[in-house]
Amino acid sequence: MDKKVDWMDAMSTLKLFAVILILFAFVFPIFTFTTPASSTEDIAVSAINRAEEVIALAYQSVLEAEKAGANVSGLLTQLNVAGQLLAEARTSYRLEDFDRAVRSANLCYENGEKVRFDAQRLKDLATKDGRQLFWWTTVGSIVGVGAVIFGGFLGWQLFKRRYFQRMGTEVVSDES
Amino acid sequence: MNLEEYRTLFVIGCLIFILAAAAPMLSMVISLPKGSERFSELWVLGPNHMAEDYPFNVTIGGQYNLFVGVGNHMGYSAYYIVYLKFRNRIQPLPDASSSKPSSLPPLYEFRAFVADGATWENPVSFSILEASRRSNSFFIHRICINDVVFSVDSSSNWDSENRGFYYQLFFELWLYNTTSQSFEYHNRFVGIWLNMTRS
Repeated sequence: MDKKVDWMDAMSTLKLFAVILILFAFVFPIFTFTTPASSTEDIAVSAINRAEEVIALAYQSVLEAEKAGANVSGLLTQLNVAGQLLAEARTSYRLEDFDRAVRSANLCYENGEKVRFDAQRLKDLATKDGRQLFWWTTVGSIVGVGAVIFGGFLGWQLFKRRYFQRMGTEVVSDES
Repeated sequence: MNLEEYRTLFVIGCLIFILAAAAPMLSMVISLPKGSERFSELWVLGPNHMAEDYPFNVTIGGQYNLFVGVGNHMGYSAYYIVYLKFRNRIQPLPDASSSKPSSLPPLYEFRAFVADGATWENPVSFSILEASRRSNSFFIHRICINDVVFSVDSSSNWDSENRGFYYQLFFELWLYNTTSQSFEYHNRFVGIWLNMTRS
């Protein structure tokens, strides 16, 4: 009797094991196939976010360079190329083409970094040029104002002398 | 004229010359506010680059061309996104009074960096790849925009007043705000109506 119960226990354990095995066989592929897909999606999301950030920073640098007086038309052309790549990356992501999204986002990131570096360099140059221009303009204006004051003073003295000479001549001619 | 009057004239003349000599330096120190209004333009042109001959009666498989453009008058180089959205007659448009964009997801997007006073333009080609009709309803399943295929699954009921199945392709303009460091809807949108009746 005990032997029969043991045998039945063993059978039920075996059945349970078989059910678990079958379940595992069904569930395992879901994990194995969803993990790489979701990780590719995660990679795409982080690549797009990274590209998005670098483009925003590059744009800020371009604005700063523009404020410093630099000609930023070339940088805007480069930014448009990078922006197009970012738009492509986002469209590919929406279509769940994550590999293409990553490729476009990475290219965008490289272009954005280059623009940011160029904008920074251009801003430094423009700031330096601006300082020099300000210095020369200030010196020029001060010299100009000084020359006008000095010239005006001399001119007034000369005019005054001539004025009195003429007045004196007129007085003498009146007395005679 | 007596000497006093001559002196006044002389002083005024000198002051004018002093102002002229100091003008370059003053222009660098004092910045006058720009009086002009700041705004952006958004437009759609037909296939001949004119505001005419817009695609209207659309057939399945036919390719249609447009141009979308942006003009910047913001006083600085601006960063824009132009979202292309597709809707049927009952789906929401942007709300101009509350400056809210349409809640529909964009199908396609353009990013543009435009210098102050400059314009940006890009061609847009689209075609309806797959659609079906069931009595009083029309279903668009797939649409191709600039060689990219999108699933839309959008239905439109028969418009008995205007006698057609109508859809709208429209563009929204978004502007990057450097203070909030995010894009904001710029309260500009433009679109064209498409009639699918002849499909």
